[in-house]
Amino acid sequence: MHLRRRRQVTTAGLAVCALALAACSSSSSSSTSSTTSSSSSASSSASSAALSGTLNGSGSTLQLTYQQAAISAFRSVQSGMTVNYGAGGSGKGRTDLASGVVNYAASDSPIPAAQASTFKGTVLYFPDVIAPVTVSYNLSGLSKPLQLSAPVIASIFQAKITTWNNSAIAADNPGVTLPSTPITIAVRSDSSGTTQNFTQFLVDATGDGWTLGTSSTIKWPATARAGNGNGGVASIIKSTPGAVGYVDYSDAKASGLTFANIKNSAGDYVTPSVAGASAAASQVTVKPNLTFSAIWAPGATSYPISAQSYVLVYETQPNANDEAMLKAWVGYLIGAGQQLLPNLGFAPLPSSIQSMAQAQLSKISM
Amino acid sequence: MSTVARADQATPAGSARALSERRPLGDRGFQVLALACGLLVLVILVLIAVTTSQQASSWFTTEGWKIFANNWNPGANQYGALAFIYGTAITAVIALVMAVPVSLGIALLLTEVVPYRWSRPIVYVIDLLAVVPSVVWGLWGILVFAPWLQHIYTDIASGVKGVPVLDSLFGQPVSGASFFTAGIILAFMITPIVTSLSREVIATVPAIDREGAYALGATRWEMIRGAVLPHSQGGIVGAVLLGLGRAMGETIAVALVIGSSPVITSHLFAPGYNMPAVIANQFGEAFGLSRAALMGIGVLLFVFTIIINVLARGIVERNARRKRGA
Amino acid sequence: MAVVTAEPQLPDLREAKGWRRTKNRIMTILMVVSFILVIIPLGFVLFTVIAKGASIISWSFLTGGPIASTVAPAGVGGMGPAVLGTIEITALATVMAVPLGILGAVYLNEYGGKNWLAALIGFMSDVMTGVPSIIMGLFIFTIWVLHFGLSGLAGAFALGCLMLPIVIRSSYEMLRLVPNALREGSYALGATKARVTVTVVLPAAIGGIVSGSLLAVARAAGETAPLLFCIGAASEANKNVFSGANTALPSQIFANANQPYVGAQDRGWGAALTLIALCFILMIAARLVTARFARYSR
Repeated sequence: MHLRRRRQVTTAGLAVCALALAACSSSSSSSTSSTTSSSSSASSSASSAALSGTLNGSGSTLQLTYQQAAISAFRSVQSGMTVNYGAGGSGKGRTDLASGVVNYAASDSPIPAAQASTFKGTVLYFPDVIAPVTVSYNLSGLSKPLQLSAPVIASIFQAKITTWNNSAIAADNPGVTLPSTPITIAVRSDSSGTTQNFTQFLVDATGDGWTLGTSSTIKWPATARAGNGNGGVASIIKSTPGAVGYVDYSDAKASGLTFANIKNSAGDYVTPSVAGASAAASQVTVKPNLTFSAIWAPGATSYPISAQSYVLVYETQPNANDEAMLKAWVGYLIGAGQQLLPNLGFAPLPSSIQSMAQAQLSKISM
Repeated sequence: MSTVARADQATPAGSARALSERRPLGDRGFQVLALACGLLVLVILVLIAVTTSQQASSWFTTEGWKIFANNWNPGANQYGALAFIYGTAITAVIALVMAVPVSLGIALLLTEVVPYRWSRPIVYVIDLLAVVPSVVWGLWGILVFAPWLQHIYTDIASGVKGVPVLDSLFGQPVSGASFFTAGIILAFMITPIVTSLSREVIATVPAIDREGAYALGATRWEMIRGAVLPHSQGGIVGAVLLGLGRAMGETIAVALVIGSSPVITSHLFAPGYNMPAVIANQFGEAFGLSRAALMGIGVLLFVFTIIINVLARGIVERNARRKRGA
Repeated sequence: MAVVTAEPQLPDLREAKGWRRTKNRIMTILMVVSFILVIIPLGFVLFTVIAKGASIISWSFLTGGPIASTVAPAGVGGMGPAVLGTIEITALATVMAVPLGILGAVYLNEYGGKNWLAALIGFMSDVMTGVPSIIMGLFIFTIWVLHFGLSGLAGAFALGCLMLPIVIRSSYEMLRLVPNALREGSYALGATKARVTVTVVLPAAIGGIVSGSLLAVARAAGETAPLLFCIGAASEANKNVFSGANTALPSQIFANANQPYVGAQDRGWGAALTLIALCFILMIAARLVTARFARYSR
C-alpha cells in the first residue's frame, strides 16, 4: 500500500540518520581523549612524540599577541594538536580555569585571595612574558613624546586634572606647548591583570597619591570610557582626540599609538621598550610559587611599568593525554616560543626564571 | 489518500466515548507528543526562571535592598545595580522617543497613503532593516557611527554651554560611545517591529469608519486622527510596549556602543552602562558574589521584560477583542 | 406675499481649503520623511559593510583558515572556521527547534482548541519571543556548560531556545489558515486525527511553515549573545559540533569590533558582509517560498 511504503521509508530514513549521528559523535569524540602510545614518554621538554587533541585556554589580553603567534608556530611542532585561546581578560581566564571550562589560563596577576577557594586543586604559575605597559595618548601637534611622572598620571586617572594644558603636566614637559583639549580617560571594562599592574605601579610610586586602590577591577571616575581588552582601550585612544589610557606595549605599537616616557624610580624618563622591560625584570625577587613583580623596579634603565604575565594550570590533570599536551604546550611557551617575543614587543624571561619554570614543568601530573 | 476500512460502521451513532477508547496507539501517541512539545515552552521558561534565580540568590540575600544602590564596585565587594537599571531605562526611553513617531508614520504611510503596488517595496525595506543582525549594528556603530557622532556631540555641547536645562542634558562630558548613541541604534532596531505591529493594528480599522469620515468631508489627516487612531490606540500602545521590551533586552549592539561606565548622570552624551551590556561584558570573568550579582541583574531583566511583554500582549489582545465585538 | 426664499446653507463639501489642507499636506510629508529617516541609516550600514567588506571577501576568506591573529594584516588566514561554525551550530539548532516548534503549534491549533492550557502556552510562547537572548545564554551556561564544557551543542541549545517560540508562533498562524473543510473531508473519509494532521494539514501549510522557519533561522544565525558563554573561541575549524570549543561569524565580528588593528577590523567587516548576505539569502528564500508554495497566506 502506498501509505505503508511511505512509513517504511520514513522509519528507514530515521534509522539511517540516527546511525549517522551516532557515528559522527563517536568518531570525533574519540579524538579529544585518545591516549596515544606516546603519552608517558612526553614527560621531558622533548616534543618529539606526536600528540593529538585540543587544548582550550583563555585570559589575559596582554598576552594575546604572543598566544596567537605561538599557537600558529606550534602547529609545525605538533601538527596533531589544536590550541584555542579565547582571551577575555585575566579575570576571565582565572574564572574559566576555576570552573573547569579551559585547560589553562593566562593571567597577569596571581589569583586573589577571594577567588582562591573556587579552584579545584593546586594551581601552578608559569611566568611566560614580561611586557611594558604604556600610557598611550592621542594628541596631535606635539614635537616630541610627552614625559609623565607617576603623581601626574595618578591625578589624570583620578580625573583631578581635566585638560591637557594643566600646569602639572606642563611641569613634567618644560618647553612644550600643550593644547587645551579636554582629557578623556580610557580604561578597561573587564577584569584585567593590566589594570592591576598599572594601579600597582601608581600605588608603589605615589603612595597615598592614588586613592582608588589596586585590583583587577577599579571604580574609575564617572567620565572614564571603558573598553574591552587591551585592544578595546587602544581603539578608544585611537578614535578619540585627547584620550589617554594604559595599553600594553605590543598592542600600542601595533596600533600605531603614541606613548609617553615615564619617570622611573631612579628619576629618569624611560621610553617603553623591550630593553627597559628586561632591565626591570632582571631585578626581581621570585617567590617560591614563581610569582614576582617587575613593577617600579630599581635601575636607571628600568621601565617602571613592566608587567609580568603567567600561564596557570592545575597541578593534577584528569588524564594522561591532557598532561602530555599541557607539558608540550607550556614547555613551548616558556622554551622555544620565547624567541618569538622580541618581534612582538615583549621581553623574554630572564634565564634564571626560565630555568625555574622549566623545572616546574615536571610537577604537572595525573 | 487511502481509504482505510475501519470497524467504524459498527459504532453506534453518538457513542463518541467508544470511538475514543478505540483510538489507535499512533493517534494517541501523536497527541501526547504534540502536547509535550507545547509544554516544552512552559518548561523552558520555568527552568530559566528557577535556575537563574537560584544562582542569583546569594546576591539577593547578601545585599538585600542594597541591590538598588548606585555603587557597582566589584573590587570593593559592592554590587548595587541602580546605574544599570537607570541606563536600561534611559536608552529605552531615547529609543522609543525616536522610533515611535517614525514607526507610526511609516505604518500610516503604508496603510493610508501609498497604493498597494508601492507598499510592497516599502515593506521589503522594513524587512531588510529587521534582518540586519544586532552585532553588525554594533560593529558599524562603534567603528563608524560613534566617531562621527562624537564631533556632532562636541559641537552641540559647546553650543549649549551655560544654558540651564540643556547643558545638563547635552553638555560635557561627551563621548561617541554614550547613552544617546545606544538609544539611536536601539531606535533603528525596534522600528521594524513597532511598524509591522502598528500596521496590523491599523489594518483592522473597519472601512466603514474611514469612509464615514471621508463622507463628512474630512481630509486624510483628519480621517486618521478621527477614525483610525482612536480605534487602534490600544493596539499601538501594545506595539510600543513590545518595542520597549525589545529595546530593554538588546544586548550586543548596546554593549559595543554604550561606553561601559556605570554612572547615573543626566548627561545623555556621556558614556554609560546598561543591564544586558554589563552581563555580556563581565559575566565571563565573574565568580562567587559577582557572578550571582550578574545573574541577579539577568533575573531582574527577565522579570522586567516578561512584565512588559505580558502587558503588551494583554493590551493588544483586549483591544482586538473589543474591536471585534464592536 | 413676501416669501423670501433664502439660499439654503449647504455644507461646503469641496476640497478642504486653507489651514486644513496645509495640515494634511504637512502630515503626509512627515510620513514620507519618516520613511526616509529609516532608509538613511539602513543605506549607510549596508553601504559601509559592502564597501569595507567586499575588498576582503574571496573564496579563501570564506573557506580558508585558520583565523588569523588579531594583529595580522588583512590577507592572512580566513573566516572558514567561523563560517563552518555558524552553519553547524545554526543547522543543529534548526534540527532541534523546528520539528518541536511545529509539533507545539500542532498541539495549539489541532488539539488545544480553546482550553486554558493551549491559551497559556500560546501566551507564554509569545512572551518568550521577547526574552533577551543573553538570558538564554546564561541559562544554558548554568545547566549545560558548567557540567559538560564548551561546545557547539551548547550554543545550539541556546539558539534553539531562541528559535522555538518564533517557530511555534509562525507555524500556528499558518496552521490556522488551513480551511477546516480539508480537515472535515479527511475525517469524513475515516482518517484519525494524527493522520489528518500529518498528511493533510501540514502539507497544506508547509509553505508558510517553511518560510516562517527560514526567518527564525535567519534570526538565530545573527545572534551573538547566546553564544558568548557557550561556545568558547576556536581559531581552527571544529568539525565536531557536539564537543570542543567552536566559533561563529557573530562571535568573530564581536571580537574584532573591539580591536584597533586595521587587519582585524577588515576581517570584522568581511565577516559582517558574509553574515548579512547569509541572513539576506534566508530572507529572500522565505519570501520565495511564501510566494510560490504557500497555498494559504494572509
